[in-house]
Amino acid sequence: MYFVSFILKNLARRPIRTVLTVLGLAVAVGSMIALLAVSYNVERSVEAAFDSRRVDLVVMQKGKPMGWDSEFSEYFVRETAKMPEVERVSEGIVGNANIERDGVLVDLGILLVQGWKPDNFGYEDLQILEGRRLLPGDRRKVMIGSTLANNLKELSKIGPIGHRVGDTLTFVGDPKNPYEIVGIFKSPVIFEDGGAIVPFEDGQELHSKRGKVTGFSVRVRKSAPDSQAEVETVKRKIEALRDPDDPYVVVVADTPDKYVQSVSQLELIRAVSWLVSVIALVVSVISLLNTMTMSVLERTQEIGILRAVGWPRRRVVRMILGEAACLAAAAALVGTVIAFLGMQTLTKMPKVNGFIEPDLSPWVMARGFALTVMVGVVGGAYPAYRAARLLPTEAIRHD
Amino acid sequence: MTDNRNYLGHRNGIPAGRRGECGDYLLYADRLYKTYPDGEVRALNGVSLGVHQGEYVAITGPSGCGKSTLLNMLGVLDVPDNGEIYFRGQPLTTRRDLDNFRARQIGFVFQSFFLIPTLTARENVQVPMFEGPRLSARERAKKADDLLALVGMSQRAHHRPMKLSVGERQRVAIARALANDPVLLLADEPTGNLDSENADKVLDLFTALQKDRNLALIVVTHSDEVAERADRVVKMRDGRVVADSGADIIPTSDSAATS
Ligand SMILES: Nc1ncnc2c1ncn2[C@@H]1O[C@H](COP(=O)(O)OP(=O)(O)OP(=O)(O)O)[C@@H](O)[C@H]1O
Ligand SMILES: [Mg+2]
Repeated sequence: MYFVSFILKNLARRPIRTVLTVLGLAVAVGSMIALLAVSYNVERSVEAAFDSRRVDLVVMQKGKPMGWDSEFSEYFVRETAKMPEVERVSEGIVGNANIERDGVLVDLGILLVQGWKPDNFGYEDLQILEGRRLLPGDRRKVMIGSTLANNLKELSKIGPIGHRVGDTLTFVGDPKNPYEIVGIFKSPVIFEDGGAIVPFEDGQELHSKRGKVTGFSVRVRKSAPDSQAEVETVKRKIEALRDPDDPYVVVVADTPDKYVQSVSQLELIRAVSWLVSVIALVVSVISLLNTMTMSVLERTQEIGILRAVGWPRRRVVRMILGEAACLAAAAALVGTVIAFLGMQTLTKMPKVNGFIEPDLSPWVMARGFALTVMVGVVGGAYPAYRAARLLPTEAIRHD
Repeated sequence: MTDNRNYLGHRNGIPAGRRGECGDYLLYADRLYKTYPDGEVRALNGVSLGVHQGEYVAITGPSGCGKSTLLNMLGVLDVPDNGEIYFRGQPLTTRRDLDNFRARQIGFVFQSFFLIPTLTARENVQVPMFEGPRLSARERAKKADDLLALVGMSQRAHHRPMKLSVGERQRVAIARALANDPVLLLADEPTGNLDSENADKVLDLFTALQKDRNLALIVVTHSDEVAERADRVVKMRDGRVVADSGADIIPTSDSAATS
């Protein structure tokens, strides 16, 4: 017999309790893993897109961390494009829009509609699944992301609503100008997939930002591929720009990773996933403490015998910690499955699926596993201490 | 292994007249005192007792006279308030590795067997083997099989305790006590829960172990039949030894020779 077999047999002794404990831990751990994954995936997708679009700086209005509430004059874009160190710029309009059907709002939660110029960096890694991309001269045309397309398709089962190439969509507040769907795309950025892209000028009108942009990306001419000196120069020059017509508007130019850290929606997701993780971990530890303490108490006599046959305290501690760790490890496995199923379910919910990719990266799984094993050790420590303190003579006295 | 300097140098050591004796004993308890924290009575009130290798000692006495307390002290499950226990002349109570000592040198048998219910007989016998001499899983299993054969339980090796008769359980418990080849077997009312037929089997086993393995046996018992089988009967009352049929026996040299 192996020591591990002994530990497993101890757990098998109360199968229902063991299973329930594992399930309880797994649900807590699963929600933790799912949220970690959601937050990680969104951030990674944004970072990866900036990376593949070779963006060196992201320029937004200072003090507007929500992203789409940033707005400033196209002047900044023009002046930046003129800088000798700048290779190219790519500006965009971003805003939340809603779709209506027969004058009634269709609630899709947050629906990001971006306005892109034909040379937007984003086209470089956009995959057209159906129809075509937007072309120069297009007006009142829209490309929809694959997630949005699916959501609209689901909605079309209830009542007519555009969801295929050639159909039309009407945005709230602009009923006289229906948009024709020209293409369906897949973007590496999760929330772009849940939204739509219209021509830049249409975007300005739709979001009431004539003559303005939400932000723009900059590619810097660099002496070496990872040289930061030029990027720093351009950053300083952009941030020093002042619009002669509105000198109080200030912009910040950040590197993509710094920008991602500062976006408040992503920060919110991070904070929520952190909070839920802490709650899940605390609940798990308490649940494990309860199970293991009970298990030690009901085995008082048995632990006394183990001491009597020569087991030192540390082996008793190893046994109890081992049992706790096994419960935690099982919970981590089941929790990973729960997390995956949970994320699959979320992707069927139109209001949130624009932000969710049901993908568990090894990094997230490793982190979830590590945290769960930590739960095992922490939750097992007190019961193990109790077990180690049992006096063998007390334990076997009630003969 | 007898090292005279060690106990001679010991301050609370053995009285001068008994020094030579101590070295010959396998186990020597010197004036043990014990009062339990919540007990008004002295469970042990100056008990001294020496046991030779291969000796079979029965301890008898009325309930509550301190037999189990003494047995626990001899097996270093508990330490006395006062007094010392010597193993082959070495003081034990100050040793730091008492668990290891117990694992290697001492086997315990109890009235209620105390087998682990989730483990088969064969697995129960292996529990002590996680400590003591290092063995592989295969060697542990093999040794457990040998021990079960020794106690006549090979047929029931894969049964859990619940499926065994009480007599069979006690024989498995004895096999477990022998797991690390101890030199001393301590048994507290080993036949207390057994009918006479099963009790006889256990007692025969004890006698055989004494003969074949030169095992020292200390058996606490209420039963005259058990006491009769022993080489020596120690009677206790109120935490003291009041009679010892072997007190006059001059230690033979065989214990010294084997140590
Ligand atoms: N853990 C303990 N706490 C307090 N008192 C104890 C404890 N263990 C034993 N005692 C007391 O110490 C005395 C000796 O107990 P012990 O168990 O050694 O007696 P015993 O001779 O084995 O009795 P029995 O034949 O009934 O088993 C008794 O008065 C008992 O009540
Ligand atoms: Mg007793």
